[in-house]
Formats: sequence, C-alpha cells, structure tokens
Amino acid sequence: MYQKTKIILAILLSFSFTQAKDMQEWLRPSEIPQPKNNKLTPQRIELGKLLYFDVRLSSSEKISCATCHHPKHGWSDEIATPKAIGHEGAVGSRNSPVILNTAYQNRQFWDGRAKTLEEQTLKPIEEGVEMNMPLSILIPKLNAIDGYVKLFDIAYPKEGLNKTTLAKALASFGRTVVSTIAPFDNYIMGDKNAISKKAKRGFKLFKTKAHCIDCHEKFNFSDGSFHNIGLNDGELHGKELGRYVVKPRASWYGVMKTPTLRDVTKSAPYFHDGSVQTLVEASSICANGGRYKYNVKNKSTYIKDRGLSRQEIDDLVTFLHTLTGPDMKLKIPTKFPQ
Amino acid sequence: MKAIIYFLLITISINIQAQEHVVDQKNKTFLPSTMKLEVGDTIRFKNSDPFAHNAYADDKANEFDVGMQFPNKDKVIKMKKAGKFNVECAIHPNMLIEVEVVE
Ligand code: HEC
Ligand code: HEC
Ligand SMILES: [Cu+2]
Repeated sequence: MYQKTKIILAILLSFSFTQAKDMQEWLRPSEIPQPKNNKLTPQRIELGKLLYFDVRLSSSEKISCATCHHPKHGWSDEIATPKAIGHEGAVGSRNSPVILNTAYQNRQFWDGRAKTLEEQTLKPIEEGVEMNMPLSILIPKLNAIDGYVKLFDIAYPKEGLNKTTLAKALASFGRTVVSTIAPFDNYIMGDKNAISKKAKRGFKLFKTKAHCIDCHEKFNFSDGSFHNIGLNDGELHGKELGRYVVKPRASWYGVMKTPTLRDVTKSAPYFHDGSVQTLVEASSICANGGRYKYNVKNKSTYIKDRGLSRQEIDDLVTFLHTLTGPDMKLKIPTKFPQ
Repeated sequence: MKAIIYFLLITISINIQAQEHVVDQKNKTFLPSTMKLEVGDTIRFKNSDPFAHNAYADDKANEFDVGMQFPNKDKVIKMKKAGKFNVECAIHPNMLIEVEVVE
C-alpha cells in the first residue's frame, strides 16, 4: 500500500513538473534584449518616441512612422489596406507588419534583410514609397531644430545628431513596443481560469495536432525563421520572392519571416501581402496545407494538411484571441521640439 | 621493434589524415557551437530534427551552402582555407557555429 502511494505520488510529481516546464517556454524574458552600444535609457526612449510620431521626418511632412505602424491599430497600418501606403499615396509592395516585440527578433523585415533595429530604422525614411526623405537632407534639417539638438545631447552625450544617433534613438523607442499582459500570460503564470475551456482546447491543438508551435513558438510566438507557407503556387513570376531577393539561395525561394501572433486580433489584414481578412481564414491556410496544396516551389516541410475540422479551427482562433492584451500605456506626443 | 615501427606508421598516418568533425542539428541548434579545425578537415552535418535545415557560410575563403537538408540525411563539407567565420542556418537564423580554421 505504502509502495503504491509512493509510485502514484512520483507520477503526480513528475506530471506537474513537466507541466510547469512546458509552460515556462512561453514566459516573457526578464529583460528587453538590447545591444551593448545602445542600452535603453528613459531619455533615449522619449527622444525616439518624439521622432517616431514626428511628420517632419518625411518629405511631404504628412507621414511619420506611426502612419504605417500606429499604436491604435495594433502597431500596424492606420489605414487597414493590404499594402502600405506612403509618400503621396504611393502603394508599397508589402503589408506593414506590426512592430510589436521587434526587440525579440534577430532579423527585421518580412525577408530579414536587416539584422538590427538600428540598421532597419533608417530604410523607411529614405524609401521613395515610404517617407521619401534622403538622410542628406533630414540630418541638417533636424540639426536646425534646437529642441532636437538639445535632446540628442542629453540622450547621446558627445555623439552628436547624425545618422547613427537618429537610428539609435528610433530603435530605442521601437524596443519598448512590447506586448502587454494578455489573458494567456495570466494562464501561463498559474491563473487556471484566465482563459476559457474552448481556448484551452485551442492551445492544445496549437501545440499538437495543428503543429502551429513548429513555427510560432515561445514568448513571441515566432521562431524568427523563414518559411514558404504556400500562399502562391508554382513559380513566383512577378510575385514576392521573399528572402530569395536578399540572396538567391534555393531554400529562400518565397520564404517570409514567421510573424508574432501577439495582439494578432488587432492587425488585420494578414500575411505579407495582406491577402486575408480573418483569423479563421489565416489559421485554416496554415493548418490545412497552405493556400495551394500542391505544386508550390520550396513549400515548408512543416506545412501539411493537418485535417482540422471547422470546430477545431474555431478553437484555435478562440485561443489566438487570448494572446491580445490591453493597449500599451502610451502618451502620443502632440507637441514636438522646435 | 617491428611493433614500434608499425605503431609509429599508424600514428603518423592518422596525423596527416584530415579529420572529420561531426555537427548535429537538434532542437534548432548546432552542436557544438564553436569549432577549431585544420585546413582539409571536414564537417559532417547531421540532422536529428524532424524537419529540414540548411547550413551555410558566406565567408569568402570557405563559402559553402549544403542546401535543404532533410531529416537523417548527412552532408559533408571540406574546409579549404584558414580563417574565422560563422556557419548559420538559412531557415533558422538563431542557429550559429563560430568556426576557426588553421593551417
Ligand atoms: C509607408 C508606410 C511605412 C512607413 C512610413 C514606415 N514603415 Fe516600417 N514598415 C513598412 C512596411 C511595408 C514594412 C515591411 C517591409 C518589408 O518587410 O519588406 C515595414 C517594416 C518595419 C519594421 C520591421 C518589422 C519586422 O517585424 O520585421 C520595423 C521595425 C519598422 N518598419 C519600423 C519603422 C519605423 C521606425 C519607421 C519610421 C522611421 C517606419 N517603420 C516607417 C511600412 C512603413
Ligand atoms: C511553416 C511554419 C508555420 C506553421 C507550421 C504555421 N505558421 Fe502561421 N505563419 C507562418 C509564416 C511564415 C507566416 C507569414 C507568411 C506570409 O505572410 O507570407 C504566418 C502567418 C500566420 C498568421 C498571420 C499573421 C499576420 O500578422 O499576418 C496567422 C494568424 C498564423 N500564421 C497562424 C498560424 C496557426 C494558427 C498555425 C497552426 C495551424 C500556424 N500559423 C502554423 C509560419 C507558420
Ligand atoms: Cu535550421
């Protein structure tokens, strides 16, 4: 009898232990990752925030970073169009991604062409279809605004106001755009009632039968990796070649970076081409073998028909809703340095 | 006496023979993650994950790309020149090996 209880106890213990370990991988890292040469300080973040919302960074003085990545729209487009709209209504080639949790990614952009946020952040300013503002004009323009010169001197003493410090300041603000505590986080931290039964079923499917976890993993629900999920069929003539543009490596044909699923309810339309409006459709595509099941060049081996029923897709989507937290507390600046 | 000569011959031949070093790819990591090799040595990439990897190096002296490597298929790459460089996975950019090749 005594022996039996001991065995049962051991089984129970190991069960609760694996359970806890299972949950740990979803926990938020204790600190926002940041590079050694640009540690986060309140002054840097505040300066970056002003720049982020300042339309004077664009040649038309109408567009800021927030035009395409707005806090009110889950850090995605202010205008919920499938493709980003920038300078004089020019339509870019890709859907604006959310800039949530970019601090946790070690490649930026859908195709990963920038390594760091510092490297990434100057590109949209100069890009013709985005802010259309050459840095050779922007840097002198900012240097003529006394308020900015002072703030840069406080945030980056003796480094001056130049390309490098502009990128550092914008990147610093970008790193603080982190998802807030969602019902799912409370569940992971032990509040068993934080999400519904249906959502729990969805979470289980997410990790098992549906195989979402193969790519959407850990705190940020992304493996930071590149996959072709079969949104287009055959050869991609005139379509998005994905990371293949960076270098024509066979395994980069049509691949895109796995996006975060945090706050995903706030950022429709979905996918790099904004071709899908609902989470039900997006999840069905990922779960049931891609939009095109056959004849897709370089489709990921993780994308297979998992045979999910409508009911199961519904459970998955209910689970995805638990990844949305309240909006980040943020005072959008209304007064800018003069 | 004969035995000693044989022994010497064998050790010499082992020494001049290029060595093969095994790298496993498991749980989206390379094992080991740092390596010191000699010119002429080879790396045998194994894949213990249930999905594909794609090890590559963009270094000028030792550029290579094993291509899509499916589970349980090995790929062998020879080190051509001395130098220090990184091996990465084209699919999982968090995977990294720091390699040093010496003469
Ligand atoms: C006209 C719309 C537009 C403007 C303005 C704009 N962006 Fe973007 N942004 C995009 C699009 C579209 C992408 C995706 C491009 C790609 O992957 O090729 C993107 C990508 C990004 C990313 C990468 C996100 C990821 O997950 O990889 C970051 C970070 C970012 N932008 C920050 C900024 C900052 C900072 C500014 C202001 C300096 C800015 N953006 C201005 C449209 C815009
Ligand atoms: C092969 C890896 C992989 C698997 C497995 C996978 N996804 Fe994705 N998911 C991606 C990639 C890559 C994208 C972006 C594709 C693109 O835009 O070209 C994406 C996009 C999405 C989006 C749209 C997000 C946005 O912001 O645009 C949702 C929602 C989504 N996946 C949910 C799921 C669900 C639910 C599952 C499980 C049924 C799943 N995914 C399985 C890689 C994967
Ligand atoms: Cu890999």
